[in-house]
Order: sequence, then structure tokens, then C-alpha cells
Amino acid sequence: MSNSVISVISRFLEEYASSTPNKLKVIDAYLLYIMMTGALQFLYCLLVGTFPFNSFLSGFISCVGSFILAVCLRIQINPQNKGEFLSISPERAFADFLFAHTVLHLVVINFIG
Amino acid sequence: MAHLCLFSLLVLSLVLETQALTPTHHLTTTDVARLQAVLSQPFTDLKSAYYSVVGLSKLGIFVADADETCRFINSNLDPSSVESLFYAAEASQALSGCEIPVSNDTRDLLLATVSEDSTASQIHQSVSALSALGLPLASQEVVSALKARISKEDNVLAIILALQTASRLSQQAELGEILEEIEDLAARLDDLGGVYLQFEEGLEATALFVSAAYSLSDHVDMEPPLKEDQVIQLVNSIFSKKSWDSLSEAFSVASAAASLSNNRFHVPVIVSAQGPAAVSHSHPFLQLQVTDVLCQPLSSASVLVESASAVASKSAILNQAPFTLRDGVFELNFMASQPASGYYQFSVAITGDSRFVANHVELKVKVSTRVAINNMDLSVVDKDQSIGPKTTRVEYPTKAKASFMADSHQNFAMTFQLVDETTGVELTPHQTFVRLHNQKTGQEVVFVAEPDSKNLYKFELDTAERKTEFDSISGTYALYLMVGDATLENPILWNVADVVLKFLDEEAPGTIQAKTLYVPKPEIQHLFREPEKKPPTVVSNAFTALVLSPFLLLLILWFKLGANISNFTLSPSTILFHIGHAAMLGLMYVYWTHLNMFQTLKYLAIIGSLTFLAGNRMLAQKAVKRIAAEQSSRLAKYRSLR
Repeated sequence: MSNSVISVISRFLEEYASSTPNKLKVIDAYLLYIMMTGALQFLYCLLVGTFPFNSFLSGFISCVGSFILAVCLRIQINPQNKGEFLSISPERAFADFLFAHTVLHLVVINFIG
Repeated sequence: MAHLCLFSLLVLSLVLETQALTPTHHLTTTDVARLQAVLSQPFTDLKSAYYSVVGLSKLGIFVADADETCRFINSNLDPSSVESLFYAAEASQALSGCEIPVSNDTRDLLLATVSEDSTASQIHQSVSALSALGLPLASQEVVSALKARISKEDNVLAIILALQTASRLSQQAELGEILEEIEDLAARLDDLGGVYLQFEEGLEATALFVSAAYSLSDHVDMEPPLKEDQVIQLVNSIFSKKSWDSLSEAFSVASAAASLSNNRFHVPVIVSAQGPAAVSHSHPFLQLQVTDVLCQPLSSASVLVESASAVASKSAILNQAPFTLRDGVFELNFMASQPASGYYQFSVAITGDSRFVANHVELKVKVSTRVAINNMDLSVVDKDQSIGPKTTRVEYPTKAKASFMADSHQNFAMTFQLVDETTGVELTPHQTFVRLHNQKTGQEVVFVAEPDSKNLYKFELDTAERKTEFDSISGTYALYLMVGDATLENPILWNVADVVLKFLDEEAPGTIQAKTLYVPKPEIQHLFREPEKKPPTVVSNAFTALVLSPFLLLLILWFKLGANISNFTLSPSTILFHIGHAAMLGLMYVYWTHLNMFQTLKYLAIIGSLTFLAGNRMLAQKAVKRIAAEQSSRLAKYRSLR
């Protein structure tokens, strides 16, 4: 049983390393960074307490929001999805990404207190 | 149709009833005496002599030494001043047998003052002096002069003086226009709360208006255009002040009182009960004083009770019963109708003269009675009712000989009846209390005895149930019965018996504390909101470093993946875009530290639009390059396939 899980995972990693374009790997690295930052914030909250609750919320929401926007960017940039995003060029996707981030950061900074 | 008429009549009568005013302020005999005293003060000059002499004559009192006063007037007279002549003439007319010498010059001076160029006050003084001295005057000239002055001086006092002057003129003169001024002046009165009606110029003006209006109306024999309610409101205003600041104010009140008590049209009636409006068997007569505003009894009045009904049950007791006049007081033997004790609403009418105003009065009369206690039975009943109750009857005001014992197995019970001493009717007074007083400790517990449906009072003391009120202290308690009510003449405090109560000893408190209700309470310290507990700085710093560490990981990963900035074109739009973007991030930091949302939005709008334009250009260029690269690669692939 565990053998098959390990073989599935190793196969997946191989496929990933070989067939994913470099651009998407860059975005994936960014996603991993965002996720770790969010997880560490959550760990702090669990261990130490929610004292400035608004700050915790704004930091955590910032991570979550950035993750979601980066995932959207990755989906839109992926050449394999070109069929579904005919009207949105990669540049347009990136511009949307930047604009949404501006709004997100505005809200986060407002709430961080 | 008939129903509609009836209904409207009913509504109208109800409305009229609610609007009928009775005077709330009037002069009592002491007030009238005080007014006389003020006016009787020794006078210092001609003006005060005028006020005193003429004021007292209006109240029907004549100065003691008329000759002395006459000499005083003559010696202080200044024949060249119209005002001085006016005071002297009026005062001498009030004194009997006082003559002022009049010369031709004096007469000419007075006649010359009657013209449009003198003030209304001067015209009033000269006309009054002329008529008091018995000199002839031309009424029509006066009327035209007055009319001219009224239109020039529109103030209240001038018009009042014009009215007063017109009442001295001959009845053949055309006084119609001046008569209309009464109505105009009445419209200028201020209605205060529906109770008072007065000029804003004050009490003196209001009082002078009343006396001038009635003297002119009497002179021309035409009813003044004042409604009954207005007359009563004027009475309230004028007679609400019981001590007067100046001689002129006292004089104006005296002349108003004189004109209201003796004119041809409206005579306000003052009805007051002599003493409290209460009757009982010892005082069966309800006595009313019916006077005019000067506290003089009305000779032609006859007083009638239109209806008297009980306040509680609204049943009518009397209908159209007359009062009899005895020694200037109207009395009625109300107890002859054998009313039950309580409060009664009387509606009294005073008739006899069509001039009477406010002659319907509502009175509340109390009928008191004496109470007697019947059938006071005390008993101690066993709770399980194994032993029959022993009932002891006690007669008021004696005390029961034996004391009663009650412990937790027994109840102590008391029943009695309260009746009217004379009629034997059962009563339910407001206060029927049973008080138990421990003589040793000073404790006192009070209970209420309640009547049942047959008006039999019952009181039961369950020792076990009530032990908290007694604090479980056993001992001998003196039992008192307290009966009281507003309509009882003999409230009762009766020590009926002694009751020995036994509670379970272990529950009794060691020492008896007086109930401290009114001592200072413990002080409340305000607790300020405590700041939240913060974690130690070491922990926060450690976690800050931990949270920032994934950034390093990101940089390492990107480096390993080979992410680079080799495609960076140094075109102006690119540079501008990157600067703008960096500026936006910097603005976020500044927002966190310094700015508020509105300022941030303002700056963001500026920087954002620049960044957008630059970025748009940059991305467009990149897109063009990408499409060109794709096309060339496709071309190369196509060529290689061929």
C-alpha cells in the first residue's frame, strides 16, 4: 500500500520536473513561499495567542489573498489552458494580477492597525 | 336628523362644560385689608394723595380727616400744571365738602389742553379735571382729539386713558369708535395657559383696562365685548398678586376690583368653602361663602346644588337642593341625606342676578365618619386541626386578659369587622394593619389584614412560614391593630393582645442587628480596562524572523530555477512602471505609519494612473515581442517539417 503511494508521488515529481515550463515553476515557488508564510503566522497565533487579532487576520488574509491571485495568474498563463482564455493574453493576466494586489494590499494595510 | 341635532347639542354642552372657568385667584378679606392699608399710608405729595383718597373711595372707605386732606391738597396745588389740577380735582371730588378754587386762567388752560397736539394722558387729565370741577366742556372736540391721538399713539396705556376719558363725556357724543377700541385692546391681551389674561405691559395696565372698559360700558349702557372666560382670566391675572410694589399699582387693583364688583354687566362670583369642605355627624352643615371680588357678600344670590354624586360609585345623592343663608354664609345640611362616607362631587349654581359670571362651581366634599370594630375574635388553630380552635372575643378598647401561645405547629388567627358607628354599614378603610412589637428587642413586624368578599377582615399568622420576618426570635409580641383612612374621624391604634411566638431556637441569630438601610455603602473602585497581556519580546522577535525566513527560501528556489531579469529592456515606460510600482508599495508603508484612507486614495490615484499607463505600454511592447517570437518559431517549425 505505502509502496504504491511512494511510487505515485515519485512519478508525480518526475513528471512535474520535466514537463512544467519554467515560468510556471517560478510561480509555484512563489506559491510555496506564500503558503509557508501563512502557515507560520497561523502557528504563531495558535501558540502565543490572538492578541492583536486584527493584525493576525490582516496578515493571514494577505497570505491567502496573494495565494489565490497567484493561482489565478498561473492558470491564466498556462499555455495548456490557452483555449479557455482566448481573450486574455498573459500580459493582461499579469496586469490584472498587479491591480488586484494593489486593492488587496490597500485593505490589508488598512486593517493591520 | 333629530339624532344629529341631539348629538351635536350634547357635544356642545360637554365642550362648554369643560371650558367654564372659575377664578383660581381672588382677594381674601386679609388681602382686601392689606390693600386698604397700602392705600391708607400717609401721603407725601399731591400724586400719592390722589391715589390714596380716590383708591380708598373706590373701596368704599372715606378718609378720616377730610379737612386736613383738603387743606393738604389746596396747599400743594400748582394751578399752572394740568397734572396737578387733575390730581387735586379728582381727590377733592372724592372728599365731601372740599372745594378747589378755580380761576378763569385755570379753566382756559384746561380747555386749551384738549387738542390734537397734547398727549392722550394730558387730554385725559384735563377732561377729568374739567368734569370733576364741574366746568363745561365740548364733548365732540374731545372725541375728535382722542381719535387723532389714538391713531398717533398706538400703545395700550394711551388707549386705556382714552377709554377712561370717554366715560366722562356726555352721552350724546359719538363714542362708537372709541367703544370699538375695547375690543381691539382685548385682542391684544396675552393668554397664559388658559388661566391668565394680561397685557405684556403688566398688572397695572391690565387693571386700568378693566376699570376703564367697564366705566365706559356703563356710561353708554352697552355690554363690553368680553366673554365670560376672559373676565375670569382677567380676575385671575389682576388678583394673583397679593402685595403691591407701588401706590399706583395698588390704586389700579382697587379700581379694577371696584368696577368688577359693581358694574351693569359682569359681576364675577367667588365661591369658597368656609374651612375644609368636609361634613360629618358632628359637623353636618356644608358652609359656603359667596362673595364678589371685593369679598363683599352678594345680597341677591341664591345658591343651589344642581347635583351631588359620589366619586367612587357615581350615584347621585342630591338634585336641585337649595342652600339657606344664615349670617352671610350659605349652608346646607348634607348629612340629612345620609350619605355614606367618602368623597362627593358637588355642582353648585349661584343664581339671582343675570350679571353673575362664573356662577357654576365644582366642589369636592368629603364625608367623614367614625368607625367601630365588631366581633374581634382571636384564636389559635392547630395546623393539623386535631384540637379545635379556642376563640376569644375581645371588645375595643380593652385588651385580652390571657396571652396567646403559638409555635410552629399552630396558626394564630384574627377576624373582625369594621362598621360605621352610626349606620352600621361595613367599611373598608385604606389602612388596616396588624403590628407585632417585641418589647424586649424593639423589633416590629407589620402585616396587612385583608377583607374577604363579605367585608369580614381576616388575619392569619403562620409561625413557620413567617419566621424570616421575625428573624426567628421567640418571645412575647404585643399585637396592635391600626385602622386609618382619610374619611375616618377616629383612627384606631389598639393593643389587642399579647402573643407569645416560639420559633426553633437554633435558627435565632446570636445578636440582633438593627437593619442598616441608610448607612454609607462600600465604595466602588473603578477598574480601568487592563491592557491585554502581551507575549515577551523574545518570542515575538523570534516569530518575526521565522515568518520572514520563507522569503530567503523563495530567493534560493528562484535562483535554482534560473529566474533572471535578462529580458529587462531599458525603455522609459519600463523604468517608469517599475518606479511607479515601487512608489505604490512605498505608499502602502506610509499609509500604515502616517496617512488615513482618504489621503492614501488620493496619492494612489495619482501614482496608480501613472503606473497603469507606463505598465500598459510596457506590457504591450512585451506582447508584441512575444507574438513575434511565437510567429518566428512557428515559421521555423513549419520550415523544418517541410
